Amino acid sequence: MTTIEMRTQAEAQPRRRFFQLDTPAIMVLPGIVFMVVAFAIPVLILVADSFRDAGGFSIGGYRKVLGDPYYIGIIWNSLQLGLITTIGSLLIGYPAAFALSRAPARLQVLLFALIFLPLTVSIIVKTFGLAIMMRRDGILNWLLLNVGFIDRPMRLVFTEFALYFGMINVFLPLMILPIYSVMRQLDPRLTDAAASLGAGPVTTFRRVTLPLTMPGVVAGISLVFSISVAAYVTPGLLIGDRFMTMSQVMAKAYLNIRDFNLGASMAVVMLVIAVTIVFTSTYFAEPASRRGRKG
Amino acid sequence: MNLVATEAARERAASANKRYLDVAAVTKRFGTATVLQDLNISVARSEFISLLGPSGCGKTTLLRLIAGLMKPDGGRIAINGSDLTQVPAHKRNIGVVFQNYALFPHLTVEQNVAFGLEAQRTPKAEIGARVQNALALVRMQAFAERRISALSGGQQQRVAVARALVVKPSLLLLDEPFSALDRKLRETMQIELRHLLRDLEITSIFVTHDQDEALVMSDRIAVMNEGRIEQLGTPDEVYSAPASLHVLEFVGQSTRIGGTADASALNGTASVETPLGKILAPLHDGSGVSGKVVLGVRPECIALGERPDANFNEISAELTDIVFFGSKTALHFQPPGADDRIQVEVARVPSGIAQGVALKLYWPISETMVYPAP
Repeated sequence: MTTIEMRTQAEAQPRRRFFQLDTPAIMVLPGIVFMVVAFAIPVLILVADSFRDAGGFSIGGYRKVLGDPYYIGIIWNSLQLGLITTIGSLLIGYPAAFALSRAPARLQVLLFALIFLPLTVSIIVKTFGLAIMMRRDGILNWLLLNVGFIDRPMRLVFTEFALYFGMINVFLPLMILPIYSVMRQLDPRLTDAAASLGAGPVTTFRRVTLPLTMPGVVAGISLVFSISVAAYVTPGLLIGDRFMTMSQVMAKAYLNIRDFNLGASMAVVMLVIAVTIVFTSTYFAEPASRRGRKG
Repeated sequence: MNLVATEAARERAASANKRYLDVAAVTKRFGTATVLQDLNISVARSEFISLLGPSGCGKTTLLRLIAGLMKPDGGRIAINGSDLTQVPAHKRNIGVVFQNYALFPHLTVEQNVAFGLEAQRTPKAEIGARVQNALALVRMQAFAERRISALSGGQQQRVAVARALVVKPSLLLLDEPFSALDRKLRETMQIELRHLLRDLEITSIFVTHDQDEALVMSDRIAVMNEGRIEQLGTPDEVYSAPASLHVLEFVGQSTRIGGTADASALNGTASVETPLGKILAPLHDGSGVSGKVVLGVRPECIALGERPDANFNEISAELTDIVFFGSKTALHFQPPGADDRIQVEVARVPSGIAQGVALKLYWPISETMVYPAP
């Protein structure tokens, strides 16, 4: 019986693909045209710029970016920024997504709106708000003083604490959403079944919930990491020049010192990092998601 | 004296066996809605009990309470004398076969079955052999390496049963395990599972809304309605002596005729005035009925023709439909002034019968059931 079912499935698939061949091709055309103009051409110009300066062909930009300890430090800063933001968002976002998916339907709508709301506010507005909150005479210091945690106002703005606080604030929804969407599809009876078989909460989480929600985790990680590694506004406002990142170096290279070769080289390096992250995480997500669906 | 002491011990053991699972005064509320109210049920060791009822009657809730997947708002649940009410699900050792099987989609058949043993820290050397045994029990050894998504519904069900049995549960709960299977397969699986559980002497509770399934499989059936058990008895008891109108309606086919009972019950027999004429029904344990009542008759008790003597009720009705079932044929009658049609089952349709003719029908007075009208 199984063999029959499997054969019909195998037969059905190619037939469907053949039937749909034309329509999707037409549907994707506007997207391709737009991406060529808006993305492919600028990237090609960027790559070209990274290999030439005023005197023609040059790899001086790459030599600087990949050889100078100062620039290597900046790449490291960016990676650290992406990594800590991702880990922080994951540690806060995973339990939040779990709670959200198990909340009663009506509460779920409300909580979902609360998570979505910050995404509708401009990053600049949000980050300025955070900066004001963290000033010496800001509400955070006032709170800590009055509760008695500290005796005098702490320096918060332009510290790494402020940076990561702000970054996680900005990127948390991007971590919660993909995890939540996978978590919501997780059949609660699977955890019931695990419990009935004698698995305690920890075993159930480790052997059932986590493996089955891994596709969401991987999606969240690649999304948050690839965007936060290139963050510009939030680090600029919350920590400034004390913590230079690749984005800031690029901006300075283009806007202040007008060294296009340096800026383009840095941009290409960042692109390679981002693409690597996206592809490796997709690679890891692929088998996990195939396992996670169905049933 | 010694003899008396052993006698008492034996009796205690026997009563402990009869009350292997003991659910006492269990109440469960969801918000303001009371789903189960002071519910009591005892299940004997190795018994197979069905909880039968329409959806929303609380049968699945009762199952989840026994499994420990929910906490009751009141009452007590004990197995073999030890109180489990406060024990979490994963420490109860109660196997559950879920409605859609709830197999782990990221694990193979073998890994699914091994899950419980691994969770309970069974020695590795033992796990392999026990998994193989469990798969052999449900004839699924050949599929050990398969992914769950590559199995048919019936195969998934076997794996779910093997997974629940491999940990040697003290009790097996089955939540409508056949509902996703087609009819033919369902009937095979019912018999197969019944044999398996009987051989293993596993105490089982089976939730279903399918009366045929309950009649086929159970030692006893608990018919539930609106959070209460309306009747607990053998399939035969539940079918031939339904304790309430609801049980009559829910289990098996029946014809129901409304009427008004005469207040004076004669010799334990109620006389009921109906649109079809006077119908007599026996009253049990000296109880009396008066006012609006509903009479019930099973289709196989009704015969065509004139009654042989006064021990039978006789009515006349118009034949409206002849429904062929193969092994039997159902004749539908629409009596004048009655809402319910009357169903009669015959092996062969007698010659000279056609739709539209009025026929005489009769059945024994002793097979007439009477209930107060709702």
